[in-house]
Amino acid sequence: MSYADFQFGALEETLPAPLQRVVWFVFEWIPLVIVAGFWEFASGTFVPSTVLSPPSEVAFVTWELLVAGDIIPHLQVSLFRVAAGLVLSISIGVLLGVGMARVKPVENFFEVFLALIYPIPKSALVPLAILWLGTGTETSVLIVFLACLLPIVLNSYNAAQNVDQNLIWSAQMMGMPSWQIPLKVVIPATIPSILTGIRQAIPIAFIALVSAELIASNQGVGFEILRYSQVGAYTEMFAVLVLISAIAFFAVRGYEWGERKVVRWT
Amino acid sequence: MVEGHVTISNLEKVYESGEERTKAIDDLSLEVPSGQFLSVVGPSGCGKSTLLYLIAGFLEESTGTIAVDDEPINGPGTDRGVVFQDYALFPWRTVMGNVTYGLEQDGVPKEQRQATAQEFIDMMDLDGFEDKYPKELSGGMKQRVALARTLAYDPKILLMDEPFGALDQPLRELLQDHLLEIWGDLGKTVIFITHDVEEAVYLSERVMVMTRHPGTKKTTVDIDVDRTQPREDIIMSDEYTDVKNQVWQSLREETQPEAQL
Repeated sequence: MSYADFQFGALEETLPAPLQRVVWFVFEWIPLVIVAGFWEFASGTFVPSTVLSPPSEVAFVTWELLVAGDIIPHLQVSLFRVAAGLVLSISIGVLLGVGMARVKPVENFFEVFLALIYPIPKSALVPLAILWLGTGTETSVLIVFLACLLPIVLNSYNAAQNVDQNLIWSAQMMGMPSWQIPLKVVIPATIPSILTGIRQAIPIAFIALVSAELIASNQGVGFEILRYSQVGAYTEMFAVLVLISAIAFFAVRGYEWGERKVVRWT
Repeated sequence: MVEGHVTISNLEKVYESGEERTKAIDDLSLEVPSGQFLSVVGPSGCGKSTLLYLIAGFLEESTGTIAVDDEPINGPGTDRGVVFQDYALFPWRTVMGNVTYGLEQDGVPKEQRQATAQEFIDMMDLDGFEDKYPKELSGGMKQRVALARTLAYDPKILLMDEPFGALDQPLRELLQDHLLEIWGDLGKTVIFITHDVEEAVYLSERVMVMTRHPGTKKTTVDIDVDRTQPREDIIMSDEYTDVKNQVWQSLREETQPEAQL
């Protein structure tokens, strides 16, 4: 829940539903508009516009990059890396989390690795990944995968550990053999937490992507940020940042929307 | 009806965690003839629920035996159906999906299991809610779904763990009468755990009072009231009041051992 939802809840309740959405939307974006206004004013007055490009210009350049298509191949590469890393981390993370929660030897084996990997910033592994995989897509995918793995494993691990015993007993009393319990009871019961883990992982995926591409790539949005800054095109650099932020934002919103549509029961 | 006869002999359950050994059930023997409605009351922590889960086969007895129709039980089985206080419905399945669950496990073809499930959905006044998910239902409706789910796969014995404990009084009475009606129609053995003396005496043919920790059978009281009367008349009758006081007194000796009665 966002801050707007909390702050203006009382006002919202008195309005009809479609208007509530409008109010919700307006209040959510007002802070951004205010800050952008100050920024616009400050740029060229207090701060030279070469150092801090005004938002109007950034918006225009962002639009140009998209229309002229300069950024499109980089976006495609980056989005593929994010998607591949996420898919890998979800499929391996859920299995690992549920496995650790329900099978003691699996837990014993992997617990120490997770505890050791957890505190390391995944960007610190980029040089090592370059050594192993080179500067291509594989390195970025690996970093995204590692960064997203932990929230997904931890969420599914905790949830699978705390599955309501009565659900398992219910299935057993109706004749389900024990070996089917993990797949047919534990995993479905864990789905709400798995979905939460995925939602947490989406922004993390973008963080990991950019930190990998800044070092280990000659393509992608992270590479573009570095390139524009090196040639002094700071407005373009800002524009790429805006794009990344917007894409990650809509990825999370879109995911939440899809989740509500598809998983009606949570 | 000669099925669903429960025999419990010298049952003992000890929980072990590390060095600690806690005796939850001590030397309990009980006979529940087929078709009987038996309630179990006892002070909290006396092991009533433990007893129920032992009969269900979810827990393993430390010593003694539990037999259904002279066959010692071996883990959970479809001859016994549990109704939990917190419903334990599968949240990812609709009402229909929950009620067909047991039949699905049994390999009943889809159309047939839906027809059977519909019978019990209708019986529990849930028609029109087949496609709802548990989170969309009230507590009373969830408990009806849970009851329909258990009845649908036709266990011989219903094991009920304070099923109406979380519901408010009017709803509880409604479901109690509904349960009595179903019990009359289907003739299943019922073992009903409750902490509510009123509920136990109103519903049952026999009430077992358990002792304080560790729990064992203190006494059983036969409830001999004419159940063809409406609830008001039963509750007002002298037989009912007498037997209720008898159970209450017996339970009170366990909950308030200091108070000299």
